[in-house]
Amino acid sequence: MLILSRKPGESIVIDGRITVKIMRLEGDMVKLGIDAPINVPVHRQEVYDEIQKNNQEALNQTVAKLPQLKAKSKPTSPKAAAAAKTPLPYANQR
Amino acid sequence: MNTLELMPTETHAIDGNGNNMIQLPYGLLGFERVHQYILLTRPEEEPFMRFQMVGEVKRAFLVVPPHFVLANYAPDLSELDVAFLELNDPSEAFVLNIVTMRAPGEATVNLKGPIVINRRTLIGKQIIPVNAAEYAIRHPLPVA
Repeated sequence: MLILSRKPGESIVIDGRITVKIMRLEGDMVKLGIDAPINVPVHRQEVYDEIQKNNQEALNQTVAKLPQLKAKSKPTSPKAAAAAKTPLPYANQR
Repeated sequence: MNTLELMPTETHAIDGNGNNMIQLPYGLLGFERVHQYILLTRPEEEPFMRFQMVGEVKRAFLVVPPHFVLANYAPDLSELDVAFLELNDPSEAFVLNIVTMRAPGEATVNLKGPIVINRRTLIGKQIIPVNAAEYAIRHPLPVA
């Protein structure tokens, strides 16, 4: 592993297209600013690992029979069913 | 180990054009090399659907639209994800969450890493929402 020393405000450049900047230090936290092209996914390692593990478990599951959702959580009217297909709000919409 | 069986089938489309092949350019986390999926729906299985790999290995994930699980589920997409998915309007987003059967009558649904699909382009991505901390990766699903 390459180890570099950087001060707040300094950056590193990866592959000429990804910039990682040390924004500031807050106690034992380091705030990083990452500039990467849109096609480079950036994730926090532990969240990425957790979702990856869950995906693998989901595919390895033993399913004799599909579950039935309990009535309570099932939309019962056509309106509720339509709502289930209603798009979700999302942030930062332009 | 059993995996979800393939269903011959009747499917219905998410874009209204009979089209249900979904492209995931980045795959699912842990399955980055599988880029093409087909969404299979059977009336008797609703609201569950099968999100099946296309290719040599035809394995399927069990998925559910999140409104059947949590009425006010609202993942916030990052600007990057909105741009990548070319979502011009929230109505273009079709969201699915992966279900895991843990034991008979015991299931969980992943609310932390939803699959978001653009209904117009049928291109999707498993995203990690900005507000992922609000949601559980093993949200209990009340199943019978």
